[in-house]
Amino acid sequence: MVFLSLSSWIRSRGPDRYWKVQEIIKHAKHFRGRKNRCYTLAVKAVRRAFVYATKGRRLKKRNMRTLWISRIAAASREHGMKYPVLMHNLTKTSVQLNRRVISDLAITEPRSFLSLAKVARARQQEGFRAALGDGKEPAGIFSRVVLLQ
Amino acid sequence: MSSFSRSAQQWATFGRSWFLIDARMQPPGKIATMCAIRLQGKHKPIYHALSDCGDHIVVMNTKQIAFSGNKWEQKVYSSHSGYPGGFKQLTAAQLHHKDPKAIVKLAVYGMLPKNLHRRTMMQRLHIFPDDELPEDIRANLTEELPQPREVPRTLSEYTQEEIDAFPRLWTPPENYKMK
Repeated sequence: MVFLSLSSWIRSRGPDRYWKVQEIIKHAKHFRGRKNRCYTLAVKAVRRAFVYATKGRRLKKRNMRTLWISRIAAASREHGMKYPVLMHNLTKTSVQLNRRVISDLAITEPRSFLSLAKVARARQQEGFRAALGDGKEPAGIFSRVVLLQ
Repeated sequence: MSSFSRSAQQWATFGRSWFLIDARMQPPGKIATMCAIRLQGKHKPIYHALSDCGDHIVVMNTKQIAFSGNKWEQKVYSSHSGYPGGFKQLTAAQLHHKDPKAIVKLAVYGMLPKNLHRRTMMQRLHIFPDDELPEDIRANLTEELPQPREVPRTLSEYTQEEIDAFPRLWTPPENYKMK
């Protein structure tokens, strides 16, 4: 049992310096070596750790996005399509799913992902046909932005 | 739902498959990219760098890889033993003559990420200089990957009709002396 509030009940709570040191040591408890008990070393390490944490909050978003992208790339290759082709054609068909959701679908709902890939494929074929001057719409699939009148 | 267990699904998801690649008349770099992707597990939607989800790759016929251009003579493999005068340089032809597995192995090794998992992933790469695979490895194989390049036919593989039907730029005159 840990009494976290025990120290605040006693009348004389010790010198301010003790509490100042504890504030820093608290964040260095899991550090390796003397950094987790010597104040002079801990101050420097904790300061660096907080700087890394601040930078890491930005980096985390970036790294997660690269992870989702590599997962979607892997899943789309299974259906014989490259990642940029898939994403480009999904944006063309105004599928507003972000990369996180698409990668989740690729893992947990492979058939939903397959249908997304089919939509992208149909849009790609439609684009090819339009480029060749044949403006027919693909049969049986909604691959175009529906213009509401 | 008590009878439904996720463990089978778990095993199926993280099971390792064994791929076979035939390197006969294929560029080593193309073979190596195929290997590097599958050794890392980057061909799976569940990929994560730390989850160790790479597969096994068996490369056979590495004795018969094909470099384009004049890479056999011009491509140089350098190494240094760390001792004075320990700098060694071999051309691709010399290295291939010394060890027919080395070129593919070095190409894959260079394409894998430079971290502590690299040696582990390399252990899942099985290279054989010819098409004789040991029985224990042959039993594991699950899938053969298509070759990245079409193997060109030699002149002896063409029938006489195909050779005759082949379009010619120039027909020699009757009195022409072949050297």
